[in-house]
Amino acid sequence: MRILVVEDDHEAAAHVSKGLREAGHVVDHALDGEVGFNMAGAGDYDAYVIDRMLPKMDGVTLLSRRRADGDETPALFLSALGEVDDRVKGFKAGGDDYLVKPYAFPELLARVEALGRRRTQAPAAVTTRYAVADLEIDVITRTVRRAGKKIDLQPREFRLLEYLMRHAGQVVTRTMLLENVWEYHFDPQTNVIDVHISRLRSKIDKDFDKPLLKTIRGAGYTIDDAE
Amino acid sequence: MLRLLRTTTFRFTIVYVVVFAVAVALLGYLFYQSTFGEVSKQTDAILDQEIQVLAEVFSGEGAGVLRRVVRERAAWRDDGLYMLIGAPSGAVLSGNLSALPPEALSAGEGFFNFTFERPRLDAAGREIGTETREARGKIRRFKASPESETSFLVFVARDISTRESLRKRSQSLMTRIGAATIGLGIIMGLIFSRTLLMRVDSVNRTARAIRGGDLSKRIAVTGVNDEIDNLAVNLNAMLDQIERLMGGMREVSDNIAHDLRSPLNRIRGRLNEALKAGPSEKEEALRATLEDAEGMITTFNALLSIARIESGEGAGQMEAVDLVAIAQEMVELYEPAAQDAGFVLQLKTAPAPPVRGSRALISQALANLLDNALKYAVGGTTIRIDIRKGSDNRVLLSVLDDGPGVPENERDSVLKRFVRLEQSRTTPGSGLGLSLVSAIARAHRGSISLGDSSSNPERRGLKVTIAVPSFDRG
Repeated sequence: MRILVVEDDHEAAAHVSKGLREAGHVVDHALDGEVGFNMAGAGDYDAYVIDRMLPKMDGVTLLSRRRADGDETPALFLSALGEVDDRVKGFKAGGDDYLVKPYAFPELLARVEALGRRRTQAPAAVTTRYAVADLEIDVITRTVRRAGKKIDLQPREFRLLEYLMRHAGQVVTRTMLLENVWEYHFDPQTNVIDVHISRLRSKIDKDFDKPLLKTIRGAGYTIDDAE
Repeated sequence: MLRLLRTTTFRFTIVYVVVFAVAVALLGYLFYQSTFGEVSKQTDAILDQEIQVLAEVFSGEGAGVLRRVVRERAAWRDDGLYMLIGAPSGAVLSGNLSALPPEALSAGEGFFNFTFERPRLDAAGREIGTETREARGKIRRFKASPESETSFLVFVARDISTRESLRKRSQSLMTRIGAATIGLGIIMGLIFSRTLLMRVDSVNRTARAIRGGDLSKRIAVTGVNDEIDNLAVNLNAMLDQIERLMGGMREVSDNIAHDLRSPLNRIRGRLNEALKAGPSEKEEALRATLEDAEGMITTFNALLSIARIESGEGAGQMEAVDLVAIAQEMVELYEPAAQDAGFVLQLKTAPAPPVRGSRALISQALANLLDNALKYAVGGTTIRIDIRKGSDNRVLLSVLDDGPGVPENERDSVLKRFVRLEQSRTTPGSGLGLSLVSAIARAHRGSISLGDSSSNPERRGLKVTIAVPSFDRG
């Protein structure tokens, strides 16, 4: 993916860029809002990572102006402001995701990759079936099959699996799950998500040879076919 | 004094006084013209008319009749004054004035004012001295024929003393009213300005004191409930808010310093050690450092959340929310974790009205209470969420466990930031969970209380209750 990072903190920007490059992405970096705006207009990017508070032009303005120009590149806001109102403002300006500082880098990586994925999938046809190896789900009929065998899931378990399948091959963090499956924006102190995952795992992986739902240490979970 | 003259109020007053004075002057002038001016014109007309009549008598009837007519008129006891003088002899032929006033000689054919003495009479008609009167008159020379040597001077006048004194009194009265208006206006202007200036000064003094660092200063409210009082009340409310925010900020920075210093020291020590250690110890040190850093981030976020909630910011939209629905979702989220930890998670609800609140915040408060129960209700078996209607239009949301509970004398302190009970020091946690819940309760104009969940003295358990006003109370 080609990613534009607009962040005025030099060190944070360098850290993010390095991490994203190590994950195999091409990263450009702008230190203020105006430069960021111009670079966004000139380059063909797959995702933007924009700090909300920037010199010369703030992040929200930058993105709303890009959106006004018809630029639909998915964007993630980075911000020290994490409350509901701030999020809403970010989304109103056309942001696709919102990450509060300080954050762990794997969280940022997972979210940026999820954004890029959304773009490549494009809305050409709404996908209603997902499959990873011999695991298949149908979003319309809400059925799950592994190796042709039907598996019964609770509604919430289904939504959890659906989210993981939509992002198959990508790392999905606990916070992303909490936000997207349960719609909460706080971090539980206990391992509630892990327990839900292990329940789900016991239903879809337990009786089969190859585990598909994997724990990525220090980051989250992923569902994939890889060895 | 100079400051007083520069105030807005004083300037307004001066403008007002000038406008008012001009209006009064105009009014006075119109009044004067339509009364005294008119009367004065009438007097002149009457004098002209009389001379006209006398001239007709003279030309028609001759000097003898004129003399008689003048005598008759002079005898009338009104304010008319008449003299008929023969010329060139200068003999007074008839009339009720003893001598021609000196002004008459220089007046020619026009009107003139003069004074004369006349006896003053008492009620019975006796003379009791003389008085000076004012009069207005006109003189005319009658000639029998153009070539005749003899002529007569006819002098006709009116006593205008009464009118004149009234006029003078009115004039001076009006001047005095005018002066008093202006004087009073200026004095009132000064008083208003001074009053206002004093009150504005009190605001200024407070502002200076606050700039000087004394955040507790407030503007005096006089209690008359006028616009300045309103301003003062609003400014004071703003200052309260600022003081609270500043206080919160200071507390947060104190807490950050307090709570983040120890992990930082730990990290430094560990990294120092790791520099000298072998590869496997290095990796272990890095891993531990990462954990510390993550813990610090968690603490940091919790502190920021508390500060924001306490400042009333970040509460999002307060709307009617159903606690039961929130609790059901939360049970759904926590049930597997509770089961794994060996607890039964129950939800017990009685019909309760919705509350005015934020779903996000209440969910978070409930999550924190459930986290606490899972972590600290060691040896317990049941966690129960209980929702019911309380007294005083409040809805009570309680989380009960059957763990060891919190001793009564420590209940207040566990609500404070960073306070953790001795026995829980070893479990992970920032000591901020209950402070956050407490901040959320306050943001909903509610309260938090801790109690026993059972009467069993061996195992009291803990009951944390949040009481939130119901929605319909507004």
